[in-house]
Amino acid sequence: MTPVEIAIVALAAGGVFFAVVAAVGVLRLPDLYTRSHAASKSDTLGAVLTLGAAALAFGTDVPTAKTVLLLLFMFLTNPTAAHAISRAAYDQGIEPWTTEEEGKP
Amino acid sequence: MSGPPSARILVPVGESITLRNTVAYAVREAATRAEAEGAATVHFAYPVTGRVADQAGLEEPRALLERVEVWARDDLGDEADASNVAFETAVRAADEYLFSPADYARTLNEYAEEQGLDRVIIDPEYTPAGSAPMVQPLEYELERSGLTVEEAPVERPTRRARLVRGGGLAKFASVFGASYLFYLAIGGFAGTFDFVTGAFSAAVTAALLSQISLSDAPDTRTPVRLLRFLVYAPFLLWEIAKANVTMAYVVLHPSLPIDPKIERFEAAVWGDLPVMTLANSITLTPGTLTVDVIDREFHVHSLTRSSREDLLAGALERAVRFVYYGRDAMAIASPEERRAEVDDE
Repeated sequence: MTPVEIAIVALAAGGVFFAVVAAVGVLRLPDLYTRSHAASKSDTLGAVLTLGAAALAFGTDVPTAKTVLLLLFMFLTNPTAAHAISRAAYDQGIEPWTTEEEGKP
Repeated sequence: MSGPPSARILVPVGESITLRNTVAYAVREAATRAEAEGAATVHFAYPVTGRVADQAGLEEPRALLERVEVWARDDLGDEADASNVAFETAVRAADEYLFSPADYARTLNEYAEEQGLDRVIIDPEYTPAGSAPMVQPLEYELERSGLTVEEAPVERPTRRARLVRGGGLAKFASVFGASYLFYLAIGGFAGTFDFVTGAFSAAVTAALLSQISLSDAPDTRTPVRLLRFLVYAPFLLWEIAKANVTMAYVVLHPSLPIDPKIERFEAAVWGDLPVMTLANSITLTPGTLTVDVIDREFHVHSLTRSSREDLLAGALERAVRFVYYGRDAMAIASPEERRAEVDDE
């Protein structure tokens, strides 16, 4: 394997790993706020790593530029969406889950 | 307009440089009408832009309205029929979001109907929704619902044309450049056809949107900021990667060691763009999630104690200040230190 191929595989594997972390996080974490941590961030990194792998695989071509733009938009929109969801919950007065209330899981 | 102007006046209030003179004009008008008809009322209404979650959010509108009332009474002191002019102040729409001029018009219209007002005096610099031009569409919407609308004839410290605001050309050029590049990147820099259609599309986009999409014209600081942003981006990426590993550890750990809590702090960044950058950066670094931003007060949900400590240590905030204000601004104390200072006092 060439170094580039190794890098592609590493990036894709990293992407899959963080996507799995995000999925596990959504299942395991207790409430909306903590879950949106997992959904918004591990997921962003997972998608970004995967897109990075795709960009490398395309080489220096037009699709690479598009992939990079996709990356950029992921970084802009993902936090915004997470913010919108959690703010909606906050405005509705949903109390965040804390360890004091229920003890450690 | 038929007949004499009404003596029941509504003045929408918001922070603006000509608010003081608008109040003076409204009071003068009311006094004139009071002389002719025996009585006049001026209502000062503050439509709140965002939803106000608690009482603290209402402090600013209330303080401004109090100031307006003091001004109004002050101005009235000079007029003959002072006792015949009444003032009312009101905060409106605290329980909803207002976005468009139509929203503001609806709020003001409801208020006018409720209070039986039929004449609106608008501050020509009234821009409650930030930088977007508001007065003309608002006037149009209000007139449609049968109110008499006039702009207060006040002197503005900076004269500028209505549609082409400051830096029109610079804004046009940057929006044009960005859209042209985007178009060519998507199309793959493929031939003359793309270059021509791209230039045309970018010109149309820039003509339509350059005044809306940029609040401030790019100036000499912009390239420097962009360069600094290039320094900031790897730093942010590194922070994201580092903290994601921690996040993975926390999520995959059998006992799920989390200690979530909402933290509030006043961020030492100013302006829409820096606040947006900081809020998004905070959300991207795992363990912290910006839940709400009211002016400069950040409500941040943090997943673990260590992420909370990192947040209050202020590395991100310092980096954002570096991007927008340069190296000197990095010296400002971190949120934790600022909080300690407040506690000491």
